[in-house]
Amino acid sequence: MAETKYDVVIVGSGASGGMAAYVLARKGIKCLMLDAGPAPDLTRDRTLKAVYDLPYRGFRKPGILPHVLQANAFNSNVWADETQNPYTYDGDDQFNWVRVRLVGGKSLFWARMSFRLSDYEFKARDHDGYGENWPISYSDLAPYYDKVEPIFRVAGRKEGWKQLPDGVFLEDNSPDSVCVQQFKTAANQAGIPVTKMRRATGQGMLASSFNLLLPDALASGNLTLVSNAVAREVTVDKNTGLANGVNFIDRHSRREIHASGRAVVLGASCLESTRLLLNSGLANSSGALGHYLFDQFYITRTVDAIMPAACGGKANRHLIGGGGYCPRFRNLDTKAKNFIRGYALDFGSGGTPDPAVIPEYGAALESKLDYYRGAGFSVTTMGEVLPRFENFVTIDRNTSDAWGIPALHFSARYSDNEFNMAADAVSTLNEVCHNAGFEVLAKHDKMFPPGYSIHELGTCRMGDDPKTSVLNKWNQSHDVKNLFVVDGSSFVTGGSQNPTMTILSLSMRASEYLAESLRKGDL
Amino acid sequence: MPLQRRKFLQVAAAVPAAPALLAQQSAPAPPAPSAADVQTLATTTPDAAACTTVPGFFTDPQLAALRRLCDLLLPSVNGLPGALDAKVPEFLDFLIGVSPAPRQQLYRQGLDLLNAISSERFAKLFVALDPSQTDQILGPLRAPWTYDPPSDPLANFLREAKADIRTATESSRERADSAPSGGRRPRGIGLYWLPIDPLV
Ligand SMILES: Cc1cc2nc3c(=O)[nH]c(=O)nc-3n(C[C@H](O)[C@H](O)[C@H](O)COP(=O)(O)OP(=O)(O)OC[C@H]3O[C@@H](n4cnc5c(N)ncnc54)[C@H](O)[C@@H]3O)c2cc1C
Repeated sequence: MAETKYDVVIVGSGASGGMAAYVLARKGIKCLMLDAGPAPDLTRDRTLKAVYDLPYRGFRKPGILPHVLQANAFNSNVWADETQNPYTYDGDDQFNWVRVRLVGGKSLFWARMSFRLSDYEFKARDHDGYGENWPISYSDLAPYYDKVEPIFRVAGRKEGWKQLPDGVFLEDNSPDSVCVQQFKTAANQAGIPVTKMRRATGQGMLASSFNLLLPDALASGNLTLVSNAVAREVTVDKNTGLANGVNFIDRHSRREIHASGRAVVLGASCLESTRLLLNSGLANSSGALGHYLFDQFYITRTVDAIMPAACGGKANRHLIGGGGYCPRFRNLDTKAKNFIRGYALDFGSGGTPDPAVIPEYGAALESKLDYYRGAGFSVTTMGEVLPRFENFVTIDRNTSDAWGIPALHFSARYSDNEFNMAADAVSTLNEVCHNAGFEVLAKHDKMFPPGYSIHELGTCRMGDDPKTSVLNKWNQSHDVKNLFVVDGSSFVTGGSQNPTMTILSLSMRASEYLAESLRKGDL
Repeated sequence: MPLQRRKFLQVAAAVPAAPALLAQQSAPAPPAPSAADVQTLATTTPDAAACTTVPGFFTDPQLAALRRLCDLLLPSVNGLPGALDAKVPEFLDFLIGVSPAPRQQLYRQGLDLLNAISSERFAKLFVALDPSQTDQILGPLRAPWTYDPPSDPLANFLREAKADIRTATESSRERADSAPSGGRRPRGIGLYWLPIDPLV
C-alpha cells in the first residue's frame, strides 16, 4: 500500500492533541493521530475491587513509580512505567515527572479544576518587570475559553475579578456551609477573595479528550487514530526545511514506521513534545528550547485544622462540608515584601484530620479521631513558579527508553521567590484560620519536589522574537512553519491557576489558524 | 520470556486444528459452546478462604516486637477490629519483605532498637514490657508533628510504623466486615485499574 499523505499528523491524544483533532477533523482536514499508549476500555480495564483483595492491601506495589506520589493501590497501572520510560536529574534535585501513556492522556484522570489566566499572567512583565510577556493578551484567548468551557461543562460562580476572569459556567449556586462562610469572612477581612471551585463536569464526571473531543473527531471521518505508536522524531524535507511527517515505533513489535503529513502538530504533553524536538534537532535556532521550565509548587495540607463547633459528633451538612478556591491576592495592587507574583488556595472541610499530625497513639488517638471526625478543615497552597532560563531539560545521551529513544535530563530547582511565597502562605493561612475560629493542629511550608503538581509548563515558549522564543503567537515554530506545538510547553508564564483550560483554548486557537493556513495554501 | 511466548504461540497455533480433525471423523461435530454457555467457576482469595500468611522476613524477636507494637498503636476500640485482629504483623512481614532495601532497614533497625532499648532500660524484650514501660519507649509518638521526619532513628521508625499499621488495619477485610452497612458502596471498595495492554 502506498504511504498516505495526511494533511496533518498529530502526536498525542490528550487534551492538547485531542483538541487539535477536534477542530481540524471537523473542518474536513485529514488527520493522523499517533499516541504512544494503548486505548483503554473503560468497561474492561476497570473493575470494582475491595482494597483487601488487592495484592498489597491499601499499599501500592513496593518500589514502583518512585516519583509518582499520586499512585495508589487502585491506580498504579495507569501511570507511565518509569523503568520503560526513564529520565534523569541533577544529583538530589529531584523532579517528579508524572506521565500517562494512554489514548486520552492525563485528561482521563485530571481533577478537572478549570480556570482562565488573566493579563496578570499574559502581561506579567508589564506588571512587575520580571521575565517576558506572552505575545498574546487575555482578549486574544477569551473567545476560545468561551468555546472550550461549554464543551467541558465547567461549573463555577461568577465573581467579576480581574485576576481570575469569569467563564461560560454552569452556574454553581449551591449554599456554603457555616464553616466555609466563617473561613470566607475571615479571608475577606485579610483581603483574600473566596469563590466556589471551578470544575469541568464533562459527562458523568469524565471530562476527557477521550469522551468529549476524540469521538466527534472520529465521527467526522477525517481522523485516523493509531495507538501504541511511539513518536521518535519529526522528519524534515531536506529541500524545503519543512516538516514532512513523523517517524514512530510500534510499541509492541518495535517496528519503525513513517507517517507523512503536510503539517505536524505536537501535543505529546509539555515535556514529551520538547523531547521530541530536541531528539529531532529542530526548532531551536533561539537556543530557548528546553529552557524556562516551570510548574506550580504545591503544599498540600499547608494547614490542618478543625472547626471546634463541629467536633464531638456535631458535624452536619449545614455546619461543615464543601470547599472552595481563593485566587491570587498578592502583588495585584500592593507589593509583597520579598516575592513577586502570587499563590492560590484550594480548601476543603468536613473530613477528619490526618492521624499523623495528632501526637497520640493507641486508644487515646482513636478517641481524638472520633472527637474530630467530620470537623476537619485543610488547605492546599498552589504557587506560581518563575520561568527561569536556568531551569531546563536536555537530552541524556546515556539513557534511553524501552524503544531506544534518548531520555530527558532535568536541571530544575525552586528559588527564593517560591520559598518566600510559601512562608507567606503558611503564616497568612494560620492567621485566617484562627480568625475564622478554627483550631490549627499542624502547619508547614514544605513544598513537594518540582513536577508534583503535574502542571509542568514552558520549555518551548511563545514569543514575538525568534531569537528568544521557540513558537510564535499561533503556537507555530519560528523555524519550521508547518510545525505547531499545542501543549503546555508553549506557556510563557503560568500563574497559580491550573493550566488545562488554557492549554485547550490555545490548542483550539492554533488549530483554527492552522486550518485557515492550510485552506489558503500558506504552508 | 521468549520461551513462554513461543509456547503460547504453539498452543495458539494448535487451536484451529481441532475442528479440522473432528471434521475428518464421521460423527457430526457437536456445536462449540458459546462463551455465554460456559459456567464461570467460583473462586476466592486466600484471605477469604481464611488461610494465613506465613511470616518469613523478620526474626522471631523482631516479629514479637512488631506484634506488640501493632497492639499498642492500634488496639481494638469500641468493637472495631484492631491491628492484631486484622493480622497486620503478618501482612507487614510480607510487605516489608518485598520492599526496597531502605524500608527493610528502617523496620529491622527500628524493631531491633525497640528490643535493645527495652533490654537496656528494663532488662526485658519489648514484648514483655508492662504498659507504663512501653509508654516511656513510645514517647516520641507524643511529640508535636513536624513535616520533616525526626532525625532520631527510633522516632522516625515509630512515625512510619504508625502510618503503615493504620493503613494495613483500615484496608483489612476484618475492618470492612465490621463496618455498618448502608453506604452507597460497601466499605473498602474502589475502582481498580487493571494493567492495560502491557508489553509482552
Ligand atoms: C491526577 C491529575 C490531576 C490533575 N488535575 C488537574 C486540574 O485539576 N486542573 C488542571 O488544569 N490540570 C490538571 N491536571 C493536569 C492536566 O491533566 C494536564 O494539564 C493536561 O491533561 C495535559 O494535556 P496534554 O494533552 O498536554 O498532555 P497529556 O494528557 O499527557 O497527553 C499527551 C499524550 O501524548 C502521548 N505521548 C507522549 N509521548 C508520545 C510520543 N513520543 N509519541 C506519541 N505519543 C506520545 C501520551 O500517551 C498522551 O496520551 C492533572 C493531571 C493529573 C494526572
